[in-house]
Amino acid sequence: MGQLLLGQLLNGAILGTLYGIIALGVTLTFGITGIVNFALGVFMMLGAYAAWYFTDVAGLPYPLAVPCAVAVTALAGLIADQGLFRFTRNNLVNGLLVSIGMIAVLEASALLIWTSTPKELHRVLPGVFVIFGFVLPKMKLLVFGLLLAVIIATYMALTRTWIGRAAYAYAQNPEAAQLMGVRTSRLQTGVVVYSTALAGLGGALYASLYSLEPTLGSLFVLKAVEAAILAGIGSVIGSLFGGIILGVTEGVGSIYLPLAFRDAYGLVFLVAILLFKPAGLFAGRR
Amino acid sequence: MKSQQAGLFIVSIFLLALPLWVKSDVVLTILVFSWLQGMLAVSFNLIFGFTGQLSMFHAAAFGVAAYATHLFMQHLGVGYWTAVVLAALLVSVLSIIVGTICFRFRLKEFYFAVVTLAFSEMARLTVLNWNDVTNGSLGINLQEKPWLLGFKVDGTVPWYYLSLFALAATLLVCWRVVHSWMGRCFSAIRLNDELGDTLGINVFRYKLAAFVAGNVIAAIAGSLYAFYLGSLEPGFLSIDQSLGIVAMVLLGGRSSVFAPVAGALLLTALPHLIHFSAEVRSIVYGSILILTILVLPQGIYGSIAALLRKRHAA
Repeated sequence: MGQLLLGQLLNGAILGTLYGIIALGVTLTFGITGIVNFALGVFMMLGAYAAWYFTDVAGLPYPLAVPCAVAVTALAGLIADQGLFRFTRNNLVNGLLVSIGMIAVLEASALLIWTSTPKELHRVLPGVFVIFGFVLPKMKLLVFGLLLAVIIATYMALTRTWIGRAAYAYAQNPEAAQLMGVRTSRLQTGVVVYSTALAGLGGALYASLYSLEPTLGSLFVLKAVEAAILAGIGSVIGSLFGGIILGVTEGVGSIYLPLAFRDAYGLVFLVAILLFKPAGLFAGRR
Repeated sequence: MKSQQAGLFIVSIFLLALPLWVKSDVVLTILVFSWLQGMLAVSFNLIFGFTGQLSMFHAAAFGVAAYATHLFMQHLGVGYWTAVVLAALLVSVLSIIVGTICFRFRLKEFYFAVVTLAFSEMARLTVLNWNDVTNGSLGINLQEKPWLLGFKVDGTVPWYYLSLFALAATLLVCWRVVHSWMGRCFSAIRLNDELGDTLGINVFRYKLAAFVAGNVIAAIAGSLYAFYLGSLEPGFLSIDQSLGIVAMVLLGGRSSVFAPVAGALLLTALPHLIHFSAEVRSIVYGSILILTILVLPQGIYGSIAALLRKRHAA
């Protein structure tokens, strides 16, 4: 029992960082542009398929394919921002619906191009570690480490650099930030594109662990929104912990409670948090 | 006002007489679906467009009632219409619980949407996994058809009239509510609920009233829809269903009682009139959604009204 629990804890934490990286994008986009970008899920899917394409079809080595996939996703994000999201700034409902429309269009396009047959990436980093009798694939640990590093680097960049201060200033008072010389429209575009790039990275790394389907992003983005709210929207480091808390809750919950309701534990938890600590667990923390 | 009444009269005569010369089963079937979806859109607009609460619970109300109607008929042995009433009662109890939780804790905007979405997902997961009762993801085939005034409602034409009547009743109820003192309270809450509170409006009570009323109409629509379609599946409660309703309202226009019907008609009919594969249909649907938001943010009704006003002023 102890081993199973430990295993679920670790697995939940690893899956949680994947939720966390998307949640980071959700939090940043919401803080700066005032919309919840549900389309981050399809950007994740795009990143995953791009990574698959670059390794299996174009024949690039996986470590090179990941940056390429991230670049492709970021470019798609830039196009989406300039063509669509630019017109929905600070309008929650419109932004939501535009992103839903994008999900419908892009998911259906992915189904047309790649069909619903799952795509499988060749094993990138085979081999396992054995910790206390629990088997942990090396690749999972690597993904965990990479995502952790990216989230912490983002946190550092936002708390220690001029750009980060500009972003926080903008989130607090857009007009004042503009008067102080922050190029607000560029900042907004930058944040939207960075968020999509994060989602693309999450997708590219996801591709090395699981098989790919065009609908893979929709579940993740829901979990990411849950994680972001759980932590308190606007908190960067909170999105990491929110993701991990959610992943662990699901992992551990599915030992003791029926597996079929796995997706519901997070929801119950979320509702409880929103009712009793509405600003989120990490409210006021960056 | 006179010309509006005349217009309404002509439209109703036209819709009532439609099956006399339109014999195509396909067209009438699409219209039945459009009227039932229209009921959903109009009732959702009571919560969203008039009271300003973005509820994601509508699909749950719709789906739970559809399942409940069948289960009440099967297990309690009651007739269809009794089961519909019982299902509507069940949904109103559920809505009171969910609404009380949300509004007591003053959840607003996005947070309200997320919590109602969470409850909706829990309902969907329950339906999906309660295999003994709901037959899980396979769904249930419904053989029975309702009886009304001694006639069995079977085939497209009777269903056309039943759904048209249900939609008309929905429109009438919503129209009366919106144009009463209650409707003015709804507007006050939409525009500024804190101000409404200080003016002595019981914000909690009216938010709950709008939420429950909208969901009960959605429940009736669900019971009708399932028995017209002849099957039940967990997809009734999916997020896509809720979002489809939002799309219809935005496309039609959220500032009028009648306008969402136009959105329902367009979004239900358009994908069927053109023969596309499911994927292309989804692409068309998404594009309509995006274009509506970017080009017609007021919806069809709002844009036409603005155009007429401009014409009038010139």
